[in-house]
Amino acid sequence: MPRSGVRRPKVRALTLSNGLRVLLAPEDASPTASVWVWYRVGSKNEEPGITGASHWVEHMLFEGSPRYGKGEIDRAVQRVGGELNAFTDTDFTAYFTTVPRDHLSVPLDIEADRMTRAAITDAEVARERTVIHSEREGNENWPEFRVEEELFQLAFRVHPYRWDALGRRRDIEQMTADQLRAYYRRFYGPKNAVLVVAGGFDSDRTAAEVRRRFSKLPPWGEDVTVHDEEPPAVGERRSTLSGPGTTPYLQLGWRSPALSDPSTPATLILDTILGGESRLFSAGMGQRGRREHPTARLYRALVEKGLAVRATSGWSPRFYPSLFTIQVQAARGVSLDRLERAVGSVVDRLSRDGPSPKEMADVRTRIRRGAALAYEGATSTGFRIGYFATLDSLGLEDRLYHRLLHVSLRAVRDQARALFRPESRVVVRYEPTGGTDDE
Amino acid sequence: MSRANEPLRLEYGREVDGLGVVRQPSPAGAASFSATYVGPAGWGFDPPGEAGTARAVNQLLSSGAGPYDRMALARLLDRAGAIITSECAPESGEVTIWGPAADWEKLLALLADAVLRPRFAPEDLVRVQRQLSEQQMRELAQPGSRADRELFRATYPETHPYYSSGLGDPKSVARISPTKLRKFHRAQYTSGDAVLVVTGPARLAAVEAAALALFSGFAEHRGPTLRLPSVRRRTARRLTVALKGRSQVEIRIGGDSIARSDPGYPAAFLANEILGGRGQLSRLFQRVRERGGLVYHASSELEAMRFGGYWTVGAGTGAERWGKVVAMLSHELEEMEDRMVSSSELREIRESAIGEIPLALESTADAHELAVEVAYHRLPGDYLSRWPELLRSVTPKEVRAAVDRAMDRQHAVTILAGPVNRS
Repeated sequence: MPRSGVRRPKVRALTLSNGLRVLLAPEDASPTASVWVWYRVGSKNEEPGITGASHWVEHMLFEGSPRYGKGEIDRAVQRVGGELNAFTDTDFTAYFTTVPRDHLSVPLDIEADRMTRAAITDAEVARERTVIHSEREGNENWPEFRVEEELFQLAFRVHPYRWDALGRRRDIEQMTADQLRAYYRRFYGPKNAVLVVAGGFDSDRTAAEVRRRFSKLPPWGEDVTVHDEEPPAVGERRSTLSGPGTTPYLQLGWRSPALSDPSTPATLILDTILGGESRLFSAGMGQRGRREHPTARLYRALVEKGLAVRATSGWSPRFYPSLFTIQVQAARGVSLDRLERAVGSVVDRLSRDGPSPKEMADVRTRIRRGAALAYEGATSTGFRIGYFATLDSLGLEDRLYHRLLHVSLRAVRDQARALFRPESRVVVRYEPTGGTDDE
Repeated sequence: MSRANEPLRLEYGREVDGLGVVRQPSPAGAASFSATYVGPAGWGFDPPGEAGTARAVNQLLSSGAGPYDRMALARLLDRAGAIITSECAPESGEVTIWGPAADWEKLLALLADAVLRPRFAPEDLVRVQRQLSEQQMRELAQPGSRADRELFRATYPETHPYYSSGLGDPKSVARISPTKLRKFHRAQYTSGDAVLVVTGPARLAAVEAAALALFSGFAEHRGPTLRLPSVRRRTARRLTVALKGRSQVEIRIGGDSIARSDPGYPAAFLANEILGGRGQLSRLFQRVRERGGLVYHASSELEAMRFGGYWTVGAGTGAERWGKVVAMLSHELEEMEDRMVSSSELREIRESAIGEIPLALESTADAHELAVEVAYHRLPGDYLSRWPELLRSVTPKEVRAAVDRAMDRQHAVTILAGPVNRS
């Protein structure tokens, strides 16, 4: 293995007899400690009727477990100045708590308590239903959310990637507490989890504490493999939404390979060249303030030329084939037809000629620079270690980094040709109904 | 480099033509560097009829500077693994550069170019004008931003800096020219009343020397003063903006508040934390979301700035539930006003706020954000060490008094924006 340029703290790995993978990344000088539990469970493991179950379980894991009554998890963490939250994706769900380093036992106790014994009561499920409904409604207020939801729904007919992690409205209204409990018991447990502890702590003492708290948990967690396979795309799919607002939106997607595909590094580079973000190895993630990517091809072709006020691409490696997307927000007076043609020219040119050597050199420099600064602070360290370990293993980060630096111009061009095929294209347009809609 | 659990300390250096120079060490283990210029360049200084100018200038500072046009600057930053971001607020404008600590001198030079020698290329202005116009439309169309907008318009007179969000209107934005940008830049991006904050491994003497070499070209050395017109206190009232086709009603309640320099700020800070500022521990989260199950988000904010401030309570809920939510929010505000907070609740909130300090110092970017706030408000270098003591000295009675002054519900405005007619 070539020497990695990723400046990652040393990680100690353990696997408990119940299957729980534990990764400890101590940093003596850190004033904080961050505990992350990643479950390889996400909306990919749901089915029609219970879409949104992973996200709902995410909420319920804050609502009580044997040692923590309702509200006590929040209280126990915030009382010591800690912060906690969770998020649900298609492929995983992650819970994190960061505390001042002297209070590391608090999140470890919470996570051990709720990993297999969350109290998902009828009353709490009923009460949380409106909260989740409200979260979805808040998202629906944004045209971008509606467009993206439609895009994935249109692109996939078989695979669970076709619904958003928030779940469908009707399922949120009708899912029962029994269904949620069954889902939780089926998938949540040490076998499907990765526990990461990062920051200021003693590695031996924490390893002993983790064993003491987690090794007695039952080895639960059914296989999370998704067997539904999306058939190959055989033609373009389109949809037009209309709704309130004044800005037209355009989103395009192309069927993209799974994380395990050898083309993953080339796809990540295409995303950087088109949208500007060096995903996974981006410098300054989480920086406050406005930020644009003037060197990105979409920006140059659409924003600089006055066709759009925002244009970017998006691709994250996933367990199963997903979508490479391009999102554009039209400038006033520019038709969606014109915008679509302009996007088409950008991807056609990239597929025909590939990136320039200078472009590739710049992308590699950015990846190198980003990797050198990717780990700063216990919370972001816990995130990165858990993310790569959940998707595959910590070695994934090193492998990807190395391959990103060595992928050839030709491989990127070939991947553009393989990716941007008209027959796998999905297009969603949002046509605003105009005005500001005051009644 | 600092050690674990040691609160960071700001060092004030020698001024450069009146520009404050402040240095803070990197957090433990950090390999990055941040520097910010923050000065009196907010939209409160927009010339009459030229709303949008401050925001345009602020956005354009990172669009070509010194010897670099927009693309050259962007490439330079990409290759350095650095980024420049800018932010504009009613009272202030700021520009920040972040990147590898080893290159801090080069990065500081780029920041100086951005602050002192922006290009204001006509084609960049056209792009920013387009973006501002789109943001204006979005502000009107999105229930959340619309509710904020209407709250400030109902609270403040038109000439007040907090009246608007600084986006201007189509006419005022169309009137912005490169000449006007330069005029605003010369007058507002001054050394006076401004501060350069650096978080990184370099020692203060080195930062001072670099600042002297790089930041001595300001056109104006005297900082302009922002005069806030008086705010007429009117009886509490409710305004409704019906927006068709949306899923959720956004609710805001709020009004005028105190400045950061107000002696009652620590008590007001805690009052806000108790009400809705301290995340899951606060009353709004616990009672409206957790017990009531009525909303996904419910929180409060106290924005105490240099010259003045405002407070807001915000929540979003479905069209069928907004009546109940408004009643609950109002009830919580009444309770803050009518009943003294218990010592145990005050202690819990206070210790949580104090305990959180190490979390705010995890990375260079986090620690830097805090340093900019301390330096901008001209607080002492050891302010972070003194903050716990300040909070621990606040009594329930002082919190009660702070509610009256800083979160005055008797004169608050309530805004509903979204599908209100479906209720």
